[in-house]
Amino acid sequence: MDYVLTVLLPQLLHGLVFGAALGLLALGLTVIFGLLGVMNFAHGELYMLGAYAGIAVIGVAHSFWVALIAAPILVGLVAAVTEMTTLRPIYRREPLYGLILTFGLALVFREGARQIWGGDMRRVLPPFTGSTPLLGMTYPNYRLFLLAASSLILFALWLFFTRTRAGVVVRAAVQDAEMLDGLGVDVRRVFTLTFAASGALAALAGLLLAPIFTVYPQMGVEMILLAFIVVILGGMGSMGGSVVAAFIIGVAQSLFSLWMNPQRVAIAIFGIMIVVLIVRPRGLFGREGVLE
Amino acid sequence: MSVLGWRALLVFALLAALPLVPGMSRYYLLLAFDALLFGAIAMSLDLLMGYTGLVSFGHAAFYGLGAYATAILMERGVQSVWACVGFAVVVVGLYALVVSYFATARRGIYFALLTLIFAEVVYTFFRYTQTFGGSDGIQGLPDATVLPGLVIDTPTRKYYLVLAYLLIAYAICRVVVASHFGRVLVAIRENEDRARFLGYNVPRYKMGACMISALLTGVGGAIYPMRSAFATPDLMLWTESGEFIISVMIGGLGTLVGPIIGGAFFTILRDKVSSIVDWYFIVIGGVLIVIVLFMPRGLLGLRRIFSRRAAA
Repeated sequence: MDYVLTVLLPQLLHGLVFGAALGLLALGLTVIFGLLGVMNFAHGELYMLGAYAGIAVIGVAHSFWVALIAAPILVGLVAAVTEMTTLRPIYRREPLYGLILTFGLALVFREGARQIWGGDMRRVLPPFTGSTPLLGMTYPNYRLFLLAASSLILFALWLFFTRTRAGVVVRAAVQDAEMLDGLGVDVRRVFTLTFAASGALAALAGLLLAPIFTVYPQMGVEMILLAFIVVILGGMGSMGGSVVAAFIIGVAQSLFSLWMNPQRVAIAIFGIMIVVLIVRPRGLFGREGVLE
Repeated sequence: MSVLGWRALLVFALLAALPLVPGMSRYYLLLAFDALLFGAIAMSLDLLMGYTGLVSFGHAAFYGLGAYATAILMERGVQSVWACVGFAVVVVGLYALVVSYFATARRGIYFALLTLIFAEVVYTFFRYTQTFGGSDGIQGLPDATVLPGLVIDTPTRKYYLVLAYLLIAYAICRVVVASHFGRVLVAIRENEDRARFLGYNVPRYKMGACMISALLTGVGGAIYPMRSAFATPDLMLWTESGEFIISVMIGGLGTLVGPIIGGAFFTILRDKVSSIVDWYFIVIGGVLIVIVLFMPRGLLGLRRIFSRRAAA
């Protein structure tokens, strides 16, 4: 019982906290994948830019909360401009080109960040400290806030996609952009706004996780692989699947690290993905015929 | 030799004369080594990307495994080029068999991501296994020998080693592309369902293409430590796979020659730009973006545009 309270339960919560933030990252990735048929290799760099933009805003405004609003907006703008200037011209080409293009964008963003902010690790102080007694243990307040905030945003996104016209339009674009175009919707604007929103979500995840992790130019490279795994595990193009898979991966990683050293954890996560793909080729919630 | 054609033979003859150029320094010969090696690997990848239509994000693992095969043997006193290359073929072959079996069952993005994840497993394994030097890899390897007494110790000899590898790899790729097997690969790229309806066992063909590409890449990896005297896990990083893909795209998909030029161009660009500025990744990323946007056929496509203008 002691083991459960002092070791297992905190680790499980750590996993949920991380999974929720990972969900924000993966959701944007899966929507963009649905729209463009391309895994956005620059998504991890938008996540990284979110953390750095947060640091920059904190430097000026001295407030984490202002940064939490401003950083996603700034990164969203960067994403919108990027989409209009580089991705828009290649929509009609094979997805391969989008893959290569976003790889190039990732290089530029990563190196750009290193030039502007330097290559060393940075820390962001949590806006509040202390911990709360919870289920017989104490748990850091900031992590609880992170879990609540991420879950709330995910819930809001679910409402957006199911209850608003704009959300339905985005889902329609994921399903069949050409048909949507035929129905008189300005698909290009939908694409740009969706790309911007997905960048803003990635930035939000980056800044929310910054007080727990460290901030450095390569931070996106490690996260993006995990986000890819989440998207595949959840089933390509399935938004709900991505969120569920994010929690599964978050908790699995957290629990595995109790019994294994980090490299075994990484291999175990890769192993889960490979097994899932062999047993259920379309992931947990993927449907037949989606983007195949 | 007829598979190569006289133009290719002429180019190889010119390349063979490169060390004879007066004032050819050690530095430029080794840069030429890197350029040709990178070009050969990009060409091997082109067999998969350009001809079969499968994008592998895991070629760095084949490359790195080949390099480790050489390094592991050399560390234990085996210096024969043949033994090292043979060992690399076995190791890379076994790994590629597993990867290609699972990855070729899927199409498009799944193939790319499966190869990527498998490669990450290999990377993680070598990165953290202290027997193989962990993150430092295996350093300080001796020179390799081709025959007793013939040691690959000078830059010129190293250069001829990679040139021989490029020549053989190019000949193999040309034979494959011109064969019935190669034409089925193109059919799969153009329309996989139709190829299957015609009765071809599509996964077997894809697996075959994957194996050839992986083995050629693995042999290239096996040669690398004979020049650098080390093998590190960074050779297997997925960004390395990305650089192979970049090289193929720069040169021109589905042309074999294009990716060789692309790989050489990429290597020289990286070397030159990085000696001038330290933000060379912005330049490389920028070049990549420009190529995707404005010259999707790559450098060889450029030639086609010019020849069309000349004809008009």
